[in-house]
Amino acid sequence: MSVEPTGSPEPEGSVVTETPEQRSARFERDAMPLLDQLYAAALRMTRHPADAEDLVQETYLKAYGAFGSFRAGTNLRAWLYRILTNTYINGYRKRQRQPVAQPTDEITDWQLAKAEQHTSSGLRSAEMEALDRLPDSDVTQALSPLAEDFRIAVYLADVEGFAYKEIAEMMGTPIGTVMSRLHRGRKQLRDMLTGVARERGFLRDAEVAS
Amino acid sequence: MSCGDPHETDCREVLAEVWLFLDNECDHERRRLLKRHLDECGPCLEEFGIDEHLKALLARKCGGDHAPDEFKQRLRDSIRGIMMRQAVLGAEVTVQEDDDGTIVEVEVRTSVESQDRVSREDRVSRER
Repeated sequence: MSVEPTGSPEPEGSVVTETPEQRSARFERDAMPLLDQLYAAALRMTRHPADAEDLVQETYLKAYGAFGSFRAGTNLRAWLYRILTNTYINGYRKRQRQPVAQPTDEITDWQLAKAEQHTSSGLRSAEMEALDRLPDSDVTQALSPLAEDFRIAVYLADVEGFAYKEIAEMMGTPIGTVMSRLHRGRKQLRDMLTGVARERGFLRDAEVAS
Repeated sequence: MSCGDPHETDCREVLAEVWLFLDNECDHERRRLLKRHLDECGPCLEEFGIDEHLKALLARKCGGDHAPDEFKQRLRDSIRGIMMRQAVLGAEVTVQEDDDGTIVEVEVRTSVESQDRVSREDRVSRER
């Protein structure tokens, strides 16, 4: 991959001249306030504070380098998340040193959702309230063991509130794949949280419909 | 599977689209149909409530971390370093990722005498 996401390139002939100081000030004003958000996302992706710092640093240096071609008025937050996600996925896959298997049953899997029934849920709403009493760390830990792609998709949709289309662009996949990852990831997460609630004694086995 | 009561939209269809509804990914008309079904059907509404709760739980519990101040300072210093180089050299520095994942700074000199494009590799990210 040689081309960085550059948001919307400036139309030819209308290059805005900006001194390095001006650009730096604009970056400080617009991009730096999003740093904590990006760091939280990086932490959920990498699961390690040191790796999260590396990822955010790389993201921000890339963003700063490409900031001259970033057009004001487009969605800076989505642009930064796109660089972050790209950087993570590429870095991650390279560290793995093996091709990532693409699930071939994506659409079928998604359609399986249609076969779901009322009784398939492991949690009932009364028990869901028990989860509110769980410490934050229990919930973030339940997210951790999810497969990489599921974890990222769920985080971007549920925590950051991005649209499927935006997530598809960030992850470089079709929308159907995003939907499948969300479906599977959320299902696993729900099962995991049921287990945690039971371990914590907030949930008796008898209360769990199965 | 159906809850047994007659509905305009089948329960299975509704359950398959609960997340589309919660993610705000269905159009106005579909949303209206689903909403009407949820108003009429207790079991579907309960299922909807659990998913809604799960989504809210994640949003509330998973996103609030703050980057350490020391890290923020280090990042600002790095950016300032690039900015100073740009200012001193009168060069445009953009950061790109090479085919092998190396971070490359590409300098494009903007002075009239020299339009040379100078590339040099500079590992910005720390070695893992």
